[in-house]
Amino acid sequence: MTAENSPSALLAARDLTFLRQDEPVFGPLDFALRAGEVVLVEGDNGSGKTTLMRVVVGLLHADEGTLYLDGAPLDRDLARGRLLFLAHHLGLKADLSPLENLRIAIGLYGCREAITPQQALHTVGLQGYEHEPVRQLSAGQKKRSALARLLLVPADIWLLDEPFANLDREGIALVNRLIERHVAEGGAAMVTSHGAVTFLHGEPRRLRLSA
Amino acid sequence: MMPGSLRAACVAVLRRDLLLAWRRRGDIALPVLYALIVTTLFPFALGPNDDLLARVAGGVVLVTVLLAMLLAFDALFRPDLEDGSLEQLMLAPQPLALLLGMKILAHWVSTALPLIVIAPILASMLHLPAHANAVLVLALLVATPLLSLLGSVLVALTAGTRRSGMLLALMLLPLCVPVVIFAAGAVSAAQEGLPWIAPIAWLGAALALMLILAPLACAAALRIAIDA
Repeated sequence: MTAENSPSALLAARDLTFLRQDEPVFGPLDFALRAGEVVLVEGDNGSGKTTLMRVVVGLLHADEGTLYLDGAPLDRDLARGRLLFLAHHLGLKADLSPLENLRIAIGLYGCREAITPQQALHTVGLQGYEHEPVRQLSAGQKKRSALARLLLVPADIWLLDEPFANLDREGIALVNRLIERHVAEGGAAMVTSHGAVTFLHGEPRRLRLSA
Repeated sequence: MMPGSLRAACVAVLRRDLLLAWRRRGDIALPVLYALIVTTLFPFALGPNDDLLARVAGGVVLVTVLLAMLLAFDALFRPDLEDGSLEQLMLAPQPLALLLGMKILAHWVSTALPLIVIAPILASMLHLPAHANAVLVLALLVATPLLSLLGSVLVALTAGTRRSGMLLALMLLPLCVPVVIFAAGAVSAAQEGLPWIAPIAWLGAALALMLILAPLACAAALRIAIDA
């Protein structure tokens, strides 16, 4: 890894550190995420993968270090629409249907051209479940309806926290397809994995966190 | 790449919360039933003395509505905090305070508005005269959004703590004192045939202030709750 904050990097970090009660959770950490690239964040349980994601996306404050977006220090107000965070808590309302949940996401984040929520649900394999309340779906189906957000929302940096959890083989292939297509279109993705098995296709750049 | 517009986002949040409230309309009925039962208890406790009941009617209905609202406050931010949709709101390109303002509005519509609708019925049960009843509804229309806004700040502040229901009540009730004084003052002034607009105007001024400050305070408090 060279030139961490080189202008070609969509997202970069230098000396990023996060402390919890004065104990470092991770860091100091340097990384860069370029357009068309996937970075796999690896580490054991409790090594700070999710914390790193939450720091990058702005839900937690880094204690030290700087994040760069397009080579300039990251301005949260400008960055908000460009980052898309898929967390453990999927942010789905259990009483609403996948379609209604997607419409909320579109209202907040906007929508890509030439795709409708119905098409997105079809792509993630939820045809026939568009109008079922999310609480009646299986864990994997819930994950899929959250993944449909990736298709619709026009963010170029994806932060996916354990995107393969709860998914069957077909679902894993789906996530890989989504990531490959996003990267081919000039986007970038940061994906966490607890390291036991990685389902990510290709040879992603690896970022190793140790507890 | 167009992020969602401000208006689209506000409509989405408002629509979502109203839809959720509608899906769980049983929950909307609970505070209404609570208010009905509490008000019914007063004639039993105080005796069927029409004059006495008419004198306390305004205050009884106000306090009952306030307590009924308190029952529903816990559901304002907690479900969103637990299922991760609050994080999605925070990461949206729009100002968080505005989106939370929409949530508070939806919460007011789904909890306080049904109470305002039955308030004249409750007050008539206690023999409040018709003209004072109209003032009571007006006072509630100004006082309940004020309570919703005050409550939302405290809900946001206690969002990170477990078992915050009782704590919330203990923190909110002292803040309600001025609201109750002004609202009840307007109703009793109307009952005695005195001008009643001044206390309502005071409530309106406080409401205008809180409309601006409360969503900002909620946004700051919830960001801290998520950060912890």
